[in-house]
Amino acid sequence: MSVHEKDYYKKIGFKCGLEVHQRLLTKSKLFCSCSALLNGPQASIQIERRQRAVVGELGKLDASTSFESERGRKFIYNTFKGTACLVDVDEEPPHAVNTEALDIALLISASFAAEIPDEVEPMRKEVVDGSDPSAFQRTMLIGYNGHVSVNGKKIKISSLFLEEESSGIEESGKDKVVYNVDRLGIPLIEIDTDPDIETPQEAKEAAQRIGAILRLTGKVQRGIGSIRQDVNISIKGGTRTEIKGFQELESMDLIIDSEVQRQENLIKITGMLKERHAEVGMPVDVTKIFEGTAIKIISENISVNGAVFASKLSGFKGIIGMEINPNRRLGSEISDYAKTAGVKGIIHSDENLDSYGFSQSEISRIVQVLGIKEGDAFMLVAGEKSMAEKAINLAIYRAKLSLEGVPPETRAADSKTMSTKFLRPLPGGSRMYPETDANPILLDAKKYDILVKNAPDIDKVASDLRDKIGNPQIADQLLKSTKLQSFFNIIKDSNANPALVATILVEKMKELKRLGINTDSISDEVLSCVFSRYKARIITKSGIEEVIKAVPQECSDVDSIIEEKKLVRISGDELIALIKEEAKGLNDKSIIINRIMSKHRLNIDGEELGELVNVMLRK
Amino acid sequence: MYSKEIEELLAKKSISIGDKVKVNSNRSEFTGRLMPRPEIGDNSILVIKLDNGYNIGMKFGEGFDIEKISGVPKQEKQKVRVKASKDLPKIGLIYTGGTIGSKIDYLTGGVFMLTKPEELLSEVPELAGIANIEVDNLMSIASEDMTYVEWQKIAKAVADTLNSGSRGVVITHGTDTMHYSSAALSFMLKNLNAPVIITGSQRSSDRGSSDAFLNLICSAHLAAKSDMAEVAICMHESPSDTYCSAIRGTKARKMHTSRRDAFKPINNRPIARVDSSGSIEYESDYKKASKDPEQKKVEVISGFEPKVALIKTYPNSDPGIIDYYMSKGYKGIILEGTGLGHTPVSTSNKNLSWLGSVKKAIDSGLIVGMTSQCLYGRVNKNVYRNLRLLSNAGVVYCEDMLPEVAYVKLGFLLGNFKKEQVSHLLNENIAGEITPRTEIDWFI
Repeated sequence: MSVHEKDYYKKIGFKCGLEVHQRLLTKSKLFCSCSALLNGPQASIQIERRQRAVVGELGKLDASTSFESERGRKFIYNTFKGTACLVDVDEEPPHAVNTEALDIALLISASFAAEIPDEVEPMRKEVVDGSDPSAFQRTMLIGYNGHVSVNGKKIKISSLFLEEESSGIEESGKDKVVYNVDRLGIPLIEIDTDPDIETPQEAKEAAQRIGAILRLTGKVQRGIGSIRQDVNISIKGGTRTEIKGFQELESMDLIIDSEVQRQENLIKITGMLKERHAEVGMPVDVTKIFEGTAIKIISENISVNGAVFASKLSGFKGIIGMEINPNRRLGSEISDYAKTAGVKGIIHSDENLDSYGFSQSEISRIVQVLGIKEGDAFMLVAGEKSMAEKAINLAIYRAKLSLEGVPPETRAADSKTMSTKFLRPLPGGSRMYPETDANPILLDAKKYDILVKNAPDIDKVASDLRDKIGNPQIADQLLKSTKLQSFFNIIKDSNANPALVATILVEKMKELKRLGINTDSISDEVLSCVFSRYKARIITKSGIEEVIKAVPQECSDVDSIIEEKKLVRISGDELIALIKEEAKGLNDKSIIINRIMSKHRLNIDGEELGELVNVMLRK
Repeated sequence: MYSKEIEELLAKKSISIGDKVKVNSNRSEFTGRLMPRPEIGDNSILVIKLDNGYNIGMKFGEGFDIEKISGVPKQEKQKVRVKASKDLPKIGLIYTGGTIGSKIDYLTGGVFMLTKPEELLSEVPELAGIANIEVDNLMSIASEDMTYVEWQKIAKAVADTLNSGSRGVVITHGTDTMHYSSAALSFMLKNLNAPVIITGSQRSSDRGSSDAFLNLICSAHLAAKSDMAEVAICMHESPSDTYCSAIRGTKARKMHTSRRDAFKPINNRPIARVDSSGSIEYESDYKKASKDPEQKKVEVISGFEPKVALIKTYPNSDPGIIDYYMSKGYKGIILEGTGLGHTPVSTSNKNLSWLGSVKKAIDSGLIVGMTSQCLYGRVNKNVYRNLRLLSNAGVVYCEDMLPEVAYVKLGFLLGNFKKEQVSHLLNENIAGEITPRTEIDWFI
């Protein structure tokens, strides 16, 4: 649920749009013949690259471009057997586009009733963070003017793009980033909505709906990271920020609300700073002041070729320490920028400096050197000299942005604190130019119209599921969950009871996952085997859970688990014999049933037992 | 180019490429910039660049309409600043074209050759800290289009640059035939007493991942600091942006169609490995520059006989090709034979034996040299009877010379020396193209 009423979001000018990224289920990558299934072992070759910011068309460097080159990091690419080739490491031109991926992308476009161009033009979108060894991503506009319905409201899908997945990040440090290129180039569809979304709750529901429609095609990858949602948010007086990395959709609304709160407070702060005619000073080397200091956090960081840099923040007193989210201050935001240079953070004058161990003379010397007056604040960073210098410049950069309002940033969703965290400045309009190494693709409009006509109707699927499963809550949960395709697969293969399969998939397996059991690693095929054994009366309902707990990887595992755990169902004549024995001298049915169940809970189906006891004791 | 109908419509409405337009078709309406049609595919598809940067193709047909909204946006000119520092060594940068000198027009996506090599320097500002660079915009030619005429021009430009005070030269060149040019320069530059470094790139310099940056930086370091007095190719040592290899101009070969480290030394070791900081690690012996103040000026021995052919033999190959070249007045042939230097000789079908044609060619005055398509290793005229037959016919066995190098060398020799000297010089080392011995680790 959203924190506020709908009117509130309208009043603050809440604008929100989604970008959903979904990996497609194809045999090979988008522009080469490598496997798209992340199943190759790592190869011994590592490639080290430097990328440089190439000046844009207008001779200017974009904020995020210069931010990355300011950091001057080198990029290391881990290579893989079977899932990476020369194309991935920018050592070979792309092969022809994967037609399987193209067909799936069109099917998805049709599922959102989008229009398609007569001809698709492959493009290069410049990428500056090193996640692509070629420094660009191949992408193409495949659909536009579609929509998704959420609670009866049509949210416009402005564009659908078929593009290459980026590399997976293995390690990110101040000097280098290590990427895995096995993920690079897997076909991905990006679905962008217009910023029509009116509340955080609606954003969550739209994301769930888009996910469900994608899974309904049966042609998308499942599992961790295979679908990702970015949310773009702005409010009146602010700037757009982009939030990435939602671990689960359940808390999306809360995190969006936290971002709204942050933006509201940043705008408030800007107003206050403007009123005070606040200014941000230049970096000043104050290392001398801290020679032989007792402040541990500083002395530790300057012992080897270290330095301390400070900057005056005129008019910032009391504001740098203002809370903008629970336990987050303007100072924390500034600190986030400084940290990207490798320092541990900043110290600012709204903090309790005594607790760091500052001496009175240290403070008064800083005040003197920087020319601090009433109403002013200061910040400082300590570390290896070049790192500290980089850090103070980044901190100054961020402090200056607070005079303007909400900085355009890419932020990460943090499901622990239910808030967002700085990742990097928001890239400006990425530079795009044609991928001249790949041919344009003519589309067949008539064929596409048929796809649109036959596209799965999610509302019909939802009502069918409710009918089949009986329990509308479980049915709706299943539709939203990533298990929908598993459900269809298992029902088809095992012919098991839909209600039972749905309950196990959306409730039981989630419960077991919470206990740390890796239920996601069990394939649909193996799950079908488990349910077939149930259907064939080899195990009971309780037995299903027991088998799943043991995480079988093959159908043969299912049978050996049944044997090892002694899960074979007791039924028919065998059960009659058991009842006869346990019922000796007893008349109370419930006592008999309880006695038998307490001994053979996993092996006996309660329903069958009840029926048999009823029949047998009637005699 | 668009179809005639589209071109006519555009002309009628005075719309040109790059204009902002509104396009209507039966299916939809778009505003964006009109892009040029790629040379491939259906030319009745109009390509429009939308505001979000994506291009989209719209079919021209019934109900199609286009209106001009505004013209081509003005593009700010890039400021080019190349500060020359007088304290740094002076080197020449001779620009000949190729991927390293090409750039993309981000508006249209077209790749074009840079006409101002200074632009290249502005993109690699590190160069200004390495040397005082004098740029010679000699030509802009794709390397597959190079001929001996260009080799002669480049050789002359190198000699002029060195003789007018540069302590080294960097030549930017397309990669495909770079090793032919490096061989040609190795032979043509007499009294060379400075590093002549040829470099290029396998990825165009408009992308952030281009290999051009490191290649140029390392090449400039070599030209500015090294005491090599040879022609060398300097390109990536591996797919990583860590080191470049300087490979002797007569021992280098492009061994991969697309990798950054496509150039490898064959039957040799790299002369040196260089990194972006300018540290040079020599890996084998090389000709050192003389410090003798009386050192002669660089001269260009520029003659070249274009009527020389490079012919590969293979199973079923027709020796008639030799007769053809003879009839065309050719003066020399380099054979790229199999193994130790064979051509088919005792074939069951007599017409496929090369011996007769080879003999005829030599008897009529052609020089015929033998190299091996194995590339690695040395040809040998004595091991098998068939080899001896060819050798007795007068074929010159070219030791461990690369076929392409032998080809260039024969053209060079025939262009400058008397025939008697040529057959003698062909298998004698002039510029590092023949080594007397092969180290055990000089192989893949």
